[in-house]
Amino acid sequence: MIEVTNLRKTFYVHKKAPGLRASFRSLFHREKTAKHAVKGATFRVEEGEILGLIGANGAGKTTLVKMLSGIIHPTSGDARVLGHVPWERSNELRRQVALIMGQKAQLWWDLPAADCFLLLRDIYQLPEQEYRTSLDKLSSMLGVKDVLNVQIRRLSLGERMKMELIAALLHSPRVLYLDEPTIGLDLTAQKAVRDFILEYRSQRAPAMILTSHYMEDIERLCKRIIIIREGEIVYDGGLRTVVEQYATEKTVTAHLKKNGELAVAKPEVARLGTVAECNAVCVKLRVPRDRVAEAAQALLHHYEVADITIEEPEIGQIIEQIMTARGGSDAGGPGAPESLGAPSIAGSSAENEEEGS
Amino acid sequence: MKRYLRLYLHFLRFSFSRAFEFRVDFWFRIVMDCGFYAVNLILFTLFYRHTDTIGGWTIDQSYIFISGFFLVDAIHMTVFSNNMWWLPLLVNKGDLDYYLVRPVSSLFFLSLREFAANSFINLLIAIGIMIWAIARYPGPGELGALNIVTFAVLIGTGAFLHYCLHLLFILPVFWLHTNRGLAMVFFSMGKLGERPDRIYTGITRMVLLTVLPFSLIASVPTDTLFAGLTVGRALHVTAVCVGMFSVLLFLWSRGLRGYVSASS
Repeated sequence: MIEVTNLRKTFYVHKKAPGLRASFRSLFHREKTAKHAVKGATFRVEEGEILGLIGANGAGKTTLVKMLSGIIHPTSGDARVLGHVPWERSNELRRQVALIMGQKAQLWWDLPAADCFLLLRDIYQLPEQEYRTSLDKLSSMLGVKDVLNVQIRRLSLGERMKMELIAALLHSPRVLYLDEPTIGLDLTAQKAVRDFILEYRSQRAPAMILTSHYMEDIERLCKRIIIIREGEIVYDGGLRTVVEQYATEKTVTAHLKKNGELAVAKPEVARLGTVAECNAVCVKLRVPRDRVAEAAQALLHHYEVADITIEEPEIGQIIEQIMTARGGSDAGGPGAPESLGAPSIAGSSAENEEEGS
Repeated sequence: MKRYLRLYLHFLRFSFSRAFEFRVDFWFRIVMDCGFYAVNLILFTLFYRHTDTIGGWTIDQSYIFISGFFLVDAIHMTVFSNNMWWLPLLVNKGDLDYYLVRPVSSLFFLSLREFAANSFINLLIAIGIMIWAIARYPGPGELGALNIVTFAVLIGTGAFLHYCLHLLFILPVFWLHTNRGLAMVFFSMGKLGERPDRIYTGITRMVLLTVLPFSLIASVPTDTLFAGLTVGRALHVTAVCVGMFSVLLFLWSRGLRGYVSASS
């Protein structure tokens, strides 16, 4: 449903040194710099799939979403959404697409949501019966039926976001872009929005692209993620696979029998990995994946163990490390996954810095 | 067409709902515009204390001209001005996004979504002034029903040209990111249209009748009311309207192509 091929976007911004003199000079001469917001993105999204787009601030996530929703034109590359070029903005495509931006409101601030929905009914030319059924269903699912006639500005942030969701989904889009839909919401509202998205997906199976800084959104909603770093896709694959791909270590924890003695990190154990914790209660080791069994055996052999656990690192932690790592040489800092410096596994080509048009 | 009419009815309903909520602003705007009408009428009355004609028009003809100008201004203030005011802000803040993803003309939406309901009364007052000016014209029968209808139609095209011109002066905001200078130029040039076109000569007059057709807004319609519509003038006004709107559509499309939104 969404096909993206080598999509690029370059913005040109002028640099200005601080101070009045520099301001005056900029009247006559400006130094322009190119900011490569998206560097050759290539991927597909299928029907019913929720693709998580993850990256630090300024990584290029929103720029990518804006190109795919037809808001901005790319510098080069190609994309097809339901067979259409999104930035040509054909009405046929726009009738089947919806965009929600957590940081931008689409509803009239001084009006009740119900009034705004009537406008959307006519924009999307929805038959009256279809509109009523859709509104009834969405407002019931989100639990906002009783506030439909309250002015938007009098609603809580959570209620406003629910209204935004209804506004985006009234016309049953086949493609949905969700740009940080839970930003600023409390935990209950975040969960409600996530549950709703999952339920909506199970009923309508649209293709969705979700960007979020909240790992819980990603973990709950997405089986597949794209990690974007400085405009470049550095990972495109399963959410769980990212752990195997990038987490080179596991944590082995021996919970000790309670004898009150402080455990000592024995050299036979310490040589297997990094001792993260060693006290009267447990001995915790971070060891390479291929030495997990050996480490477990050593712990059982050298300590009085009541229980033993083997854990993968947290996905959020791994992703955060991938997102914040900079290029190959910078990636090998303490705790950074070894493979961060490796070539992209997403198939995006090495970047040459000439940007056209 | 029917769909766009329905959408416009929504805009009207929304605008009236909001205007009634802020009632101080509602009444203030009416008082302010009435002051504007009074100042202009007094100004022309004072001019005619020193001369019998301006640009070949008597005071009675000038009152009709001013009333035409008031009506165009009231239409603009009511229908377009809020939208024109908002547009640069929307462009610079990246708030056009939602308008571009809807299956509806973004130019229609962004030009008409804000109807200034609190100026609506002024529109009625401007119509009242026009009826007064025509009714007090010595021998209104001389004007003829056909000329009055033609005058009304040309005032409509004048309002349309005023909208096109205003928007054309705003559109550079897509590239320049500020249009304050150009907005000042527009309002200064707009003053040229507040005087009879016959007072201008040579290239100035030609520019005001073609490239920057401020004189087609109220002066030429008023002249047509007295002199009647010729084929040449009908073609001239039509060509300028089509030309201006084509340029507007072209620049709108180029502007949207250059729109960079703003990071969230």
